[in-house]
Amino acid sequence: METIERKENMTTENSLRIISETMERSRMAIAKNSGKTILMWGVLVAVTSIVVYFLWSKTGNPAWNLLWFAMGAIGGVFTAVNARNREKVPVNEISRVVGKTWMWYGLLTTAFFALIWVAALIRSKWEQPGVINVNLTMIIVMMMGLASVVSGVVMRMKSIVAFSVIATLLSVMFAFLVNGPEQILVFVILGVVGLVIPGLILQNKGKSLKK
Amino acid sequence: MAENVKQFKPLDPLLHSELRLAVMSILVGVEDADFVYIKAQTGSTSGNLSVQIDKLSSAGYIEVEKTFKGKKPCTICRITEKGRDAFAEYVDTLKQYLAL
Repeated sequence: METIERKENMTTENSLRIISETMERSRMAIAKNSGKTILMWGVLVAVTSIVVYFLWSKTGNPAWNLLWFAMGAIGGVFTAVNARNREKVPVNEISRVVGKTWMWYGLLTTAFFALIWVAALIRSKWEQPGVINVNLTMIIVMMMGLASVVSGVVMRMKSIVAFSVIATLLSVMFAFLVNGPEQILVFVILGVVGLVIPGLILQNKGKSLKK
Repeated sequence: MAENVKQFKPLDPLLHSELRLAVMSILVGVEDADFVYIKAQTGSTSGNLSVQIDKLSSAGYIEVEKTFKGKKPCTICRITEKGRDAFAEYVDTLKQYLAL
């Protein structure tokens, strides 16, 4: 690596070169660090998929899908241990958004299945252990919820993240428990709690900045 | 005639140094960075880096937090608003010089 020790007469071109090279080198170091985590999760997902396929096809019991929760726990522990052991690499805007997006994907997906599971037990809708009938509305709600959460993360607005999570989980429950035309009312919850309230928060924030 | 001569703003002497500029270039893109990371990225010696960090800190361009990572001392650097503004102004002046 080229060292920066000299105190020569700096030219403007030299200054620009230092700025661009240092920024690029730092960006690459941070990206490389994020790559390790993504690689680890990729291997875990692939291995879990093969294990679940093997056990499910051998036993005929779809409950082996619960191993996905174990995968989440193992991955979480690996990520935490890895973060503690490795040389500290700073967080830039890209690595923050990438990390938070995946973290919220994992949390929302886990909460989604946990909620459906509880709701299914309550409503005795558990036709076959380990089988959950997911409808299109629930998928739309989850995707919309994740988009809202990520928006809050990017804007560094914890209140928006919180309202988005509440809206998503309430909506998922509603979409699971209510069928027929009434199910479409889920978007009232999602619209008001997940979009209108965060929108008002942002507007108020904008007004207070103008003052 | 003299009126036609374009006036260039002087470059901030504190930033117009290779190592200090490199340190600021790292810090401007991250939330914070520890001494070991900055040293690795700049390829500088500990002594030289310490001196330059002190200069940037004295000018209020960066904040330095001395803490511990386990039992090892850890120095964390963070750019300040003043530092961010100074860096932006330095880049603007560079652009002016290079007519970009």
